[in-house]
Amino acid sequence: MHYSPALSFSQPTSLPTTNYAFHSHVDLRFCGLRRQPSGFSFSTHSASTRVSLSTPARGHSNKISASSGNNGTPKSFDYDLIIIGAGVGGHGAALHAVEKGLKTAIIEGDVVGGTCVNRGCVPSKALLAVSGRMRELQNEHHMKALGLQVSAAGYDRQAVADHANNLASKIRSNLTNSMKALGVDILTGFGTIVGPQKVKYGKVGFTDTTVTAKDIIIATGSVPFVPKGIEVDGKTVITSDHALKLEFVPDWVAIVGSGYIGLEFSDVYTALGSEVTFIEALDQLMPGFDPEIGKLAQRVLINPRKIDYHTGVFATKITPARDGKPVIIELTDAKTKEHKDTLEVDAALIATGRAPFTNGLGLENINVATQRGFVPVDGRMRVIDANGNLVPHLYCIGDANGKMMLAHAASAQGISVVEQVTGRDHVLNHPSVPAACFTHPEISMVGLTEPQAREKAEKEGFEVSIAKTSFKANTKALAENEGEGLAKLIYNPDNGEILGVHIFGLHAADLIHEASNAMALGTRIQDIKFAVHAHPTLSEVLDELFKSAKVKAPASTSSPVSEPVSA
Amino acid sequence: MAHILQTSFLPSTSTLRRTPIPGSKAKSRSLQVKAKIREIFMPALSSTMTEGKIVSWMKSEGDKLSKGESVVVVESDKADMDVESFHEGFLAAIMVEEGGVAPVGSAIALLAETEDEIAEAKAKSQSSSGSSSARVVEEKPKQKQESEPAVSAVAPTVSSTKTVVVGSAVHPASEGGKRIVASPYAKKLAKELKVDLGTVVGTGPLGRIVAKDVEAAAAAAAGVVAAASPASPAIAAPVASGIELGTVVPFTTMQGAVSKNMVESLSVPTFRVGYTITTDALDALYKKIKSKGVTMTALLAKATALALALHPVINTCCRDGNSFTYNSSINIAVAVAIDGGLITPVLQDADKVDIYTLSRKWKELVDKARAKQLQPHEYNTGTFTLSNLGMFGVDRFDAILPPGTGAIMAVGASQPAVVASKDCRIGVKNQMQVNVTADHRVIYGADLASFLQTLAKIIEDPKDLTL
Repeated sequence: MHYSPALSFSQPTSLPTTNYAFHSHVDLRFCGLRRQPSGFSFSTHSASTRVSLSTPARGHSNKISASSGNNGTPKSFDYDLIIIGAGVGGHGAALHAVEKGLKTAIIEGDVVGGTCVNRGCVPSKALLAVSGRMRELQNEHHMKALGLQVSAAGYDRQAVADHANNLASKIRSNLTNSMKALGVDILTGFGTIVGPQKVKYGKVGFTDTTVTAKDIIIATGSVPFVPKGIEVDGKTVITSDHALKLEFVPDWVAIVGSGYIGLEFSDVYTALGSEVTFIEALDQLMPGFDPEIGKLAQRVLINPRKIDYHTGVFATKITPARDGKPVIIELTDAKTKEHKDTLEVDAALIATGRAPFTNGLGLENINVATQRGFVPVDGRMRVIDANGNLVPHLYCIGDANGKMMLAHAASAQGISVVEQVTGRDHVLNHPSVPAACFTHPEISMVGLTEPQAREKAEKEGFEVSIAKTSFKANTKALAENEGEGLAKLIYNPDNGEILGVHIFGLHAADLIHEASNAMALGTRIQDIKFAVHAHPTLSEVLDELFKSAKVKAPASTSSPVSEPVSA
Repeated sequence: MAHILQTSFLPSTSTLRRTPIPGSKAKSRSLQVKAKIREIFMPALSSTMTEGKIVSWMKSEGDKLSKGESVVVVESDKADMDVESFHEGFLAAIMVEEGGVAPVGSAIALLAETEDEIAEAKAKSQSSSGSSSARVVEEKPKQKQESEPAVSAVAPTVSSTKTVVVGSAVHPASEGGKRIVASPYAKKLAKELKVDLGTVVGTGPLGRIVAKDVEAAAAAAAGVVAAASPASPAIAAPVASGIELGTVVPFTTMQGAVSKNMVESLSVPTFRVGYTITTDALDALYKKIKSKGVTMTALLAKATALALALHPVINTCCRDGNSFTYNSSINIAVAVAIDGGLITPVLQDADKVDIYTLSRKWKELVDKARAKQLQPHEYNTGTFTLSNLGMFGVDRFDAILPPGTGAIMAVGASQPAVVASKDCRIGVKNQMQVNVTADHRVIYGADLASFLQTLAKIIEDPKDLTL
């Protein structure tokens, strides 16, 4: 079948899918549960008639049979859709493509799941789950206030690391299985675009295979960005890729960059007993967050913890620990470019953002020039070539296009592309995509920050109002003894449009969706404030927030409240 | 306690980094300042609010304020609220930074009437804002504070332990001690405990200064105080190893003044009365309000002041050998050991000022004393002196009366003792011994005894202290 020998070896196959395989071959597919690894065997071919790739000759002879099983691609393509990269973006696109009846393949050169599942969001959540509990158990004051007594909390580093690793494996296999179950072909190897609607893929040392597809989505994601001058050895100078393995817990770790990744790791490390020094190039910590939220977060997440920081400096040179010397970090003033300080620490984590992983994609074959590595796209994720023209049938989603480097944004972009190629125009509403940072407590946001909103308002001539509520007034938060927190609503008081919502507090990441959904659906404050929230829940923080907004426009008449469903 | 600095030895003020201005002139100047500079207080935003957190300052230092304008956002136990200015003027100095916590009624900023006074107000607030900003750091080393008995404020900086400077030079990359390598938490602790990192020996990886080194240094500093403490004006000789044995070292100006005062005290006919006071209730109260920045020193000063208010004769002095001088205010001087001597910062009007303000004032004074920036009226206007050696486990001692005052009280450690009660039960109670030395020309035995009885009553039922 469609598996390269190396992969088919290890993968117990999921149940066969029947949605477009020839039914007469169903039993054969069952037989193929353990596919023989015998080279580029034809046995895999016999297992499913719809694929031709297994032939080592990269002829297109079997193409017809491939598409004939499908409900008809007019031209003879191997697939309706090929996705290069099986991360969260590619996965989301693949699932939606299958739902839309497309014959879909996904090419992955590494492991299914990409950054998020293997080296990002997923394992970091496992570590943060541990750090959250450690923090709580170590907070004697908090425990006492609840009437609990806990004797010295401790942890086993390897067990914590295993938890993160196991979670990643579990999610990875879930992802793989879900695609297999739906009949998405998973092709192993690095994919390269060789021409319009044509991709080759293969593993190093093996012959490449070329496949064609009506549409192609690039979803190759990103890798940790390491500024020049920094020598990453994977032991004492590390990126998030290494840190998530938690191979050691340094006494003192410098974190370069105080964005999401840096903040989350500072939460993990300080909970496990490390001391942290932040190095931030901009003048304040947590750039990119709403300033008010950033200030509050600094008060709660940085100041009381064993963290200090240097702002307005670049880490221009970082040398890993060796010959009995510690990790040495040279700090240079961001403005004057003069040497400012030298730090010696046990480890340095580079969290300066992520760089697109687009090398070797063969973009030159179709006259596309990357910009700082990013694939240029239009609002519909259509790839733009060096002359500024759209490249037909080629899309790029996720970190590789740099529009919004978030796993769920990639997935949403993928779904949007599938909608377009199946005949429904769709543009993803990026401002309604929420983001979250999983510190304790969490930070979440959607839409504009206050300064951004004010700038926009000035340009477009509308008013901006701010409403705020505190978690201190929320029963559930107080029951949890976690009253520290703030929710902030930025809106247009004339029409009730939500411009942005920012939350810092208990379960903020889960709370943001009420606001992001409202923004995505265009729901106005004067309407959503009539929606009912269960009491007592944290969601009432947002309920209060909407109710405290002063909107001049009246509630729309089609408000759900005016039409009782069952009376 | 003995060698209290007095107005009489003004020459020593040079060591205090002040030009020797006649006391009276300095006083009148500062009074004038007070009149035009108003304090902005932490308001009570709800009936249950005892302290408030500064969420953000809406104005910066130097900004003009009109009456009714919002100045600061305060977070109470219920919500965040804007606080408005009651007066017009300039926001001269912010004393509690954003994120800081202040008890209700304590000053959080100074408001100057005119632009010219901003600088003066700033100077006024400097030391206090230093101490209050330290409160921003919420994770205090609580166990440390608890183990520190009674007068916690007396721990001075360790700058006198010069021997240890070599320590940081051990670090390979510290460029021969030019750079200090300390972990983030060590730095935070050093700031909090007022330890100079340059003097701390690092024991962490590669000679790095870690938290426990700072704690050790702070503890050592307490040891230095012990040596430099009033009972032995030989000053720190046993501990400060910078001293060469077998040499003769002349007095510093301050030490010379102490010596002069001590000799002078011999011309005053003094006597002593002791009393044992149960402190269980006081300890409980302290535990309860410690988190609001109240120190044991402030509590003792307050209790003493309240007792003095009822016994004005103890607050007198004999200037000429022919008359009683009844002091108009009750100013409690508290002896503090500092580098190479001691000084007695004064808590003025201790009977009238509330305990939270008093505690804040005390912190301010101690900080100033360490920085040698006390102004004459801040150390020579005491009418009654407190000396506490309880933190060293001293259970009783005997103080020398500072010339120019009527009485001084020596406070010992509060310790658990087996006590037989009147109803013939045996129990364990915390008890502390106090011993008052007084000038018998103006204060008689019965006066002192009844004063001590009142003091004991106040301490054993301390509810009045927080009024």
